[in-house]
Formats: sequence, structure tokens, C-alpha cells
Amino acid sequence: MDARSLKEKIFLVTIFALTALGVTPVFYVLASVIYKGIEAFTRRGIGIIVKVNGGILPAIMGSFALSILSTVIGVVLAFVAGLFVAEFPNSRISKITKVASRSLLEVPTVLLGMLVYILLVVPTGHFSLLAGAIALALVMLPYVMVHVEQALESVPQIYREAGYSIGMSRAQVLFGITVGIAKRGIASGILMGFAKAMGETAPLLFTIGAARSSLPCSIMSPGDAVPLMIFQYAQMPQEYYHDLAWAGSLVLVIVFLLVFVIVRKLIKEVKY
Amino acid sequence: MKGDKLLYYSLFPFAAIVIATFILLFAVISYTSAPAIKEYGWKLFTSSAWSPSEMGPESSKYGLLSPLYGTLVSSIIAVILAFPVTISAVLVIEDYAPPRTRDLVGSLIEVMAGLPTIVYGLWGLEILAPLLKVHVYSPLHQLLGFIPLFSCRPFSGYNILTAGILLAIMVLPYMVAVARDSYRSIPMTYREAALAIGANRYEYAKIMMGMIKPGLIASALLGFGRAAGETVAVALVIGNVPLISSCILKPGYTISSLIANQFSMAPLYPYMMNVLFTGGLILLMIGVIANTVAVIMISKSRLR
Repeated sequence: MDARSLKEKIFLVTIFALTALGVTPVFYVLASVIYKGIEAFTRRGIGIIVKVNGGILPAIMGSFALSILSTVIGVVLAFVAGLFVAEFPNSRISKITKVASRSLLEVPTVLLGMLVYILLVVPTGHFSLLAGAIALALVMLPYVMVHVEQALESVPQIYREAGYSIGMSRAQVLFGITVGIAKRGIASGILMGFAKAMGETAPLLFTIGAARSSLPCSIMSPGDAVPLMIFQYAQMPQEYYHDLAWAGSLVLVIVFLLVFVIVRKLIKEVKY
Repeated sequence: MKGDKLLYYSLFPFAAIVIATFILLFAVISYTSAPAIKEYGWKLFTSSAWSPSEMGPESSKYGLLSPLYGTLVSSIIAVILAFPVTISAVLVIEDYAPPRTRDLVGSLIEVMAGLPTIVYGLWGLEILAPLLKVHVYSPLHQLLGFIPLFSCRPFSGYNILTAGILLAIMVLPYMVAVARDSYRSIPMTYREAALAIGANRYEYAKIMMGMIKPGLIASALLGFGRAAGETVAVALVIGNVPLISSCILKPGYTISSLIANQFSMAPLYPYMMNVLFTGGLILLMIGVIANTVAVIMISKSRLR
């Protein structure tokens, strides 16, 4: 074997090995969460999932409320702003909007929590689920927007032209035709935003108040969320809280993997 | 035409909210950090002291130097570790692996991107850090202790290097996504030209990587920005001690983990909240600069 093909062999082995090394952590993380999560549930009883004091129910309920609230706020904003950007790509406002949303994508999420803290928590005088939901909505906004834009832009022009040719107005074409064709892409974008918001911790540190001894009674009362509970329980010295943290992680990972599978299915079926 | 205007103005407010959010973020964070900068001036960025006091600004000392150092060092480690893996993964996924392996690696990287950061944090705290301490750090210190980077005895697995390794894992999928985009934008004719002159797979890869150099720089920059802003996972593994040391086996602090740890106490002390917002301002600057340069790089690579 000459030096040149030896070099090629070494190179190929190296890149395959590095790639394998790069994806190994995902197996390790998933295996740890499943093993430790199941261990936690068997050691502390499956009942911790419905226990309020010393269980994870307040966190699960809080996450549930937060994800619905933030999805409603974030998706409406992202969907309409995404429509605007995709439909009027040449207007100056739409270009600025695009830059702003791409920049928001790169802003550390902890800063969005700090923003909501100053704008909502300080004026109202207390932490609330609503404040957390708004922070999460800001986190998901740019993600969903990118997907909405891409889904709308991928609809071929001829479909729109067909609409115009039979005398439909621009709004009718947009809502009747373009959105209809792009709906799978939009739905997968929304789901990904939802998953992103579900797993975020940093924006909640300063907004929801980590109230985990009782269930939240309104959106203006403080609450808890699974990621925040994991973060704080992981730092406790007692073994019991570590178990709760692993149990919470298992719940989070299961929800995430479900969303991932659904999104995969949606995207696979998109063909124009 | 009239319908057009109506549609424009009914969608417009939502776009305006997006722009307003971005401006508000800048305004609120700058405004809230202003009192701290006024009170402490440059000392805020040149000292590592952290001793809050209820008595007033004179008796309390705040310095962001050590967290800033920790943020930069851990993020640089993350990018250095993730970069070669990024290049390898792009080549494997795009060209060199058989289709089924490609799909598998692609999906795995997508799962990696989507896993909640707190899950990485808990894993780093309970599994990765203890493992690294026993199997990597202790031997590393014994064998390579003469290098300043590894010169201190690792007392625990919670240090800047662990934070860097965990961050490398977390930012890898983003870096791969950015690099993949620019790799795909290489026109077919260039690929064919490289193969036509008889390039083998190593030479082909070298030529292609040379062509997307701006894209690769963008991927490193975006990875750096992500790593610098990551909060909870780092807070769990870095040790949270305001140290500045040339040894990366010592615990440290990052700006975002400082914010996460101190925020709940901040309202009790004068100026502490403002100092934390100054930290936030630094993070925002790092993010915006990394992002802007990356966007310029990406547009440069598209021109080819």
C-alpha cells in the first residue's frame, strides 16, 4: 500500500471513530435516565408521580400548565409573525423582524427569564405561572417562527397563482391555500417549539417561584416545573431528592421522545 | 391591492411584537445594569471578589472577572473538543457512510439537539463527573502534571474541564447543523471537479473543507455562543467557586451559573441584582457578536 492510500485509510478510520465518539453520549445519557429513572420509581414507589408533598405531581402539573399557556402565547405570535415574514419578504419591516427573531434564537434563554422578571414579576410583586409561560413563549417564538417560514416558503408558487387566477384575494390564498398545504410543516414546528419550551429550565429560575408544596390554583399563583425541580433537587444532599430528580428526568425524556417520533412522522409525509 | 394592505396591516402588529421584544431585552438589561457599572466602574470587570453585604455598596465587593474567565475557558474547551467531531460527522453523514448509517447518525444527532439541557446537567452531575474524575483526571494529572493545564490535583470531578466536556456534547448538534448547511451548499460541479482530477477521499474532504471554511468558522462561533449562554447544566458541574487558575482541573464559575445561583439572594443586597444584570449584558454581547460574525461568515460562504 502506498503512502497516499494509507493516509486515506487512516483518515477514514479517524472520522468514523470521531463520529461514533460524538454520538456515544446520547446512548449513555438515555441509558442512564432510563435506568436511574426506573430505579427511582421502584425504590420510592410509582406513587411519587401523584404525590403532592415529597412527590413530583406539582412539578408535572406546573409543566403541563406552562406548556399549554406558553404554546398558546408563543404559537399565535410565531405563527402570525412567520406568516408576515414569509408573505411580505421584501418589506423592510419583515427583514428587520427576521433579523430580530434569528437573534432571539441565539440569546441565552436565562436572559429571557431576566427580562420577564423585570417586566412582570417585579411590577406584580410575586412569581407566577403566567410569568414563566411568557418567558417560555419567548424561548419558543423564534424556533416556531423559523419552521413556519420554511414551511410556507416551501409551498410552490404555482399553487398561489392558481388561487389568484380564480380571483381569490391575497388573504384567501394565504389562509385557504398556502397555510393548508404547509400545515404539516407548521404543525411539526409547533411541536418542536413545545418540546423546547417543556425542557427549558433557565427562564423559569426567576419567574415561577418553585412553589412545590401545593398545586397551583391559578395562572397568577407561583408554581413549579419538572426541569426546575430537577435542577434544585439535584443540588440537595439527600438521596431521596436525587431519586425524584431522576424520576422527573425520565418523565421529561419520555415526553420529548414522543414528540420527536411524531415530528419525524409528520416531516416524512410532507411531499409536494 | 386594497386587500393586500389590509392583510399587511393585520399581520404587522405581531411582527412588531417580535422586534419590540428584542429591543426591550437590550433596553431592560442595559438599564438595570447601569447602576452597578456606575457604582463599581471597571472594578466590576477586573476583580473576582464576591462578598455581598447588606450594609451598602461601600462594604460589598462584586467582581465578574472570574465568571467571565470561566465562561470563556469552558466555552473554548467545548468548541475545541467538538470541532473535529463536527467535521467528521458532516463528512460521514453527507458523503462517506452508507445510507442507513447516515440516517441513524443524523437521527441520533437530532435527538442530542433536542434533549432537555437539564437532563444533560443531571447526567453530568451524577454520572459523567465522577467517572471522569476516577478514569481520566487522576491519570491525566499523574502523567501530564508537568503541563500547567493539568498541574493541580483533581479533588472532585466538578471543574472547568468537565463543564467544557459537557458543553462540547451539548453544542455538537448545533455545530453539525450549521456546518452541514454550508457543506450542502457546495455546487455539484466543484465536487465533480475534485473527483475528476482523481482526488481520493482524504483529498476530496480536504478540498471541500477548504471551500466551506467560512461556514466552519460560523459553526464554531455559534457553538461558542451557545456554550457561553448555557446555564443550568454548567451550574451543576463546574463547581461554582470564583477562581482563576491556569489549571483546568480546578473548579470555576461562569456568568450564567453565577446568575442562576445568586439570583434568589440578589434582592436582599443593594446593587447585587444590578451586578447580575451586568453579567447578563456581557452574555448578551457575546451572543450578539458571535451571531453577527457567524451570519456574515455564512453569507460569505454562500457567494461562492
